[in-house]
Amino acid sequence: MTRASDMFDRFLNTFAAWALALLWILPLAYAVWTAIHPSAYEANFDLFAPLTTENFVKAWQAAPFHRYFLNTFILVTMILAGQFLLCTLAAFAFARFEFPGRNVLFALVLLQLLVMPDILMVENYQTMRLLNLVDTIPAIALPYIASGFGIFLLRQTFMTIPKELDEAARIEGASVLGVLWKVYIPLAKPTYLAYGLVSVSHHWNNFLWPLIVTNSVETRPVTVGLSVFSAIDSGIEWSVINAATLMTSGPLLIAFLLFQRQFVQSFMRAGIK
Amino acid sequence: MLKSTFLKAVAATALTFSTWASAQAVDLQFYFPVAVGGKAADTIQELTAEYVAQNPDVNIDAVYAGSYQDTVAKAITASRGGNPPQLSVILSVDMYTLIDEDLIVPFDDYLTTEEDKKWLEGFYPAFMENSQTGGKTYGIPFQRSTPVLYWNKDAFKDAGLDPEVAPETWEEMVEFGKKLTKKDASGNATQWGVRIPSSGFPYWLFQGLAIANGAELVNAEGNKTNFDDPKVVEALQYLVDLSTKHEVMAPGIIEWGATPKAFFEGQTAMMWTSTGNLTNVRDNAPFDFGVAMLPAKVTRGAPTGGGNFYLFKGASDEQNKAAVEFVQWITAPEQSAKWTIATGYVAPRAETWETEEMKAYTADFAPALVARDQLEFAKAELSTYQNQRVTGLFNDALAAVITGQKDAETALKEAQAQADEILAEYR
Repeated sequence: MTRASDMFDRFLNTFAAWALALLWILPLAYAVWTAIHPSAYEANFDLFAPLTTENFVKAWQAAPFHRYFLNTFILVTMILAGQFLLCTLAAFAFARFEFPGRNVLFALVLLQLLVMPDILMVENYQTMRLLNLVDTIPAIALPYIASGFGIFLLRQTFMTIPKELDEAARIEGASVLGVLWKVYIPLAKPTYLAYGLVSVSHHWNNFLWPLIVTNSVETRPVTVGLSVFSAIDSGIEWSVINAATLMTSGPLLIAFLLFQRQFVQSFMRAGIK
Repeated sequence: MLKSTFLKAVAATALTFSTWASAQAVDLQFYFPVAVGGKAADTIQELTAEYVAQNPDVNIDAVYAGSYQDTVAKAITASRGGNPPQLSVILSVDMYTLIDEDLIVPFDDYLTTEEDKKWLEGFYPAFMENSQTGGKTYGIPFQRSTPVLYWNKDAFKDAGLDPEVAPETWEEMVEFGKKLTKKDASGNATQWGVRIPSSGFPYWLFQGLAIANGAELVNAEGNKTNFDDPKVVEALQYLVDLSTKHEVMAPGIIEWGATPKAFFEGQTAMMWTSTGNLTNVRDNAPFDFGVAMLPAKVTRGAPTGGGNFYLFKGASDEQNKAAVEFVQWITAPEQSAKWTIATGYVAPRAETWETEEMKAYTADFAPALVARDQLEFAKAELSTYQNQRVTGLFNDALAAVITGQKDAETALKEAQAQADEILAEYR
C-alpha cells in the first residue's frame, strides 16, 4: 500500500515537473522555430518546412548590433566590477565594525530596496548632466553601482562567517583588508556568483534608462537595438523579431547552459530563489 | 622657405576659419520615434544628413528614441533634467499633455511672414485639428496615418461578391460579412467576415465608427468629452453586434499586432487597420487585395493618427529659427514624398501628391490614394488634457462592453462621469 502510494507520489512529481518544464520552454521553442523558418510558417506548424538563416541576417542588419554588443559587454562589466568593489567594502563595514549610526545607515541602505529606480529617472538624469556624462556608458552604469541589494546580501553572508576564522587570521598578522581578501571573499564566493548573475542579466535587459540617457550608436546597448523591431503601426514580423531576440539573449543563454550547475548550487547556498 | 611659410599661413587661416564656422553653427538635437518596421529610422537619418550637408551653418543630431511612448518619456525626462531637445516628433495626441507640462512653444512666433502663413495652410485641415489649440499651432504634421479597410478580393469572389467593390455602409459591411463568414461542420468559424482590432488602444478604430455616426468624442479645447452621446452608444452597440448579433466578427478582444497575419492567412476577409500597414500588406498578402475608405453611416468618417513635430522650450531664438527651417524643409514635397514612399505614412500636404515621384508611386499603387481621399472626412484623434488617464478610461469602457461585462450605455455613462471629474479643472 505504502509502496503503491509512494510510486503514485513520485509519478505525480515527475509529471508536474515535466508539465512545468514544457510550459516554461514553450515560448523559447516557438522563438527558435519561427527564427529558423521563413515568415510564412510563423503560425503554421510543418515539420518539414524549409530552414533559413535569412531572419538572422535581416535582424543583424536592422541595427549596428556589433557595436551594441560591445557596449552592452562594457556596460555589464563596468557595473559588476563597481558593484563588487563598493558592495564588498560597505558590507564588510556593516558586518564587522562597530561605529556610531551603523544601524541607521544600514536602514537607509535597505530603504533603497523599496524605491523603484524608475522614480529616480529625472533626478539621475540631472546628476548625470551635472557630471557632464549624458550620452556615455558610465552614465548608464553609475546609478546602479551602489546597490542596496548587493550590500544587504553580502552583509548577511559575511555575518554567517565564524568570527574565529577572522580572529585566527588577525593573530597570524593579517591586516583588516587582508582578512577581507583572504577570509571573507573566498568564503562568500557562491554569493558573489549568484549576485553577479542577477546583476548581469538585469543590466543586460535594461532598456528605458539607457534609452533615455544616451543618444548615439557608440553608447547604446543591445536592448535599444532590439526596440527597432517593435513596429506597432505596421504589424509585427514575428520571425525577424524572434531571430533578433535569440541573438541578443544568446550570450546569456549560452553562459547559463555552460555554468548551469554552478549557478544552481550557488543559488541554493546563497539562498536567493 | 617663403613658400612653406605662406602655406602655413594659409593652413592656419583655413583652420581658424573652419573653427569659427563651426562655432557659429547652430546645434540642434532632434528626437524621433519609429513605429513602422524596416528602414524608417535610416530614412530620417539620411534626410537629416542631407540637410546638414546642404546647410553648413546647422548641425542636427537626429536621435532615435524608441517607440512613441519611449520618446515622450525621454523628452520629458531630458527637459526636466535641464537638457531638452530642440525638436522632437511625438504623437499628435500628446499636445495637451506637453502644453500642460509647459515643455513646448508654439510655432507661430517663428512663422511671421505671409509666405510662412501660407505654408501653414498647405497642410490638410484634418491633420491640423490635433496640432492647433487656442489659436496657436503647436504641432507640424509629419508621420501621420489614418485607418482604412483592406479586403481580400479572392475571398469576395469565392463568396459570390463583386471582388472590386468594398462595403460602402455599415449595413453593407454586415451583409457582405454574413456571406464571407465560413463555418466548419462543428460551427467554428474558419473565415470571419471582418476584423476590427480592439487590443491596446481600441478608441482609435472605434473613432472610425463614432465619427461616421456623426459623433464628436471631444471638443476642440480638449477639456470636455462626449462619451455618453447617444450616437457614440449606437456606434459601440454596432461594434458589439458585429460579433454577437450578426456573427461576422470574432467575439472578445481582437489583437492588433496579429491582425495583418490573420488577414494574410485568410482567417478574415476584411480588416480595419492603419495605412502604416500598406507596405507590409503589399509585400506579404498572397492574394489580390483592395483598400477602401471606412464604411459610412450618416457620413464617411475616420480618425487621424501618428506624430507631429514639436518645438521644445529652453532653446535660443536662433535654434528655434533653425529648427523651424528644418521642419519646413523636411515637409517640403520632395523630402515628404521620399518619406511617404519609404514608410507608407500619408503625406500631410497636398503639393506633395503633385510631385513626379508621388505620381509614379500612386500610379503603380493606387491604394495609397485612398488614405489621402479619406482625409476629407477625417477628424482629430481623441486627445484631451490628462490624455493618458482620459483615454485610459474610455479604453476600459470599450473593453468592458466588447467582453460583455457591461452594456454600452452604462459603461459610457460611467466613463463620461469619470472624465468630467478629471477635466473639470481645465475648463
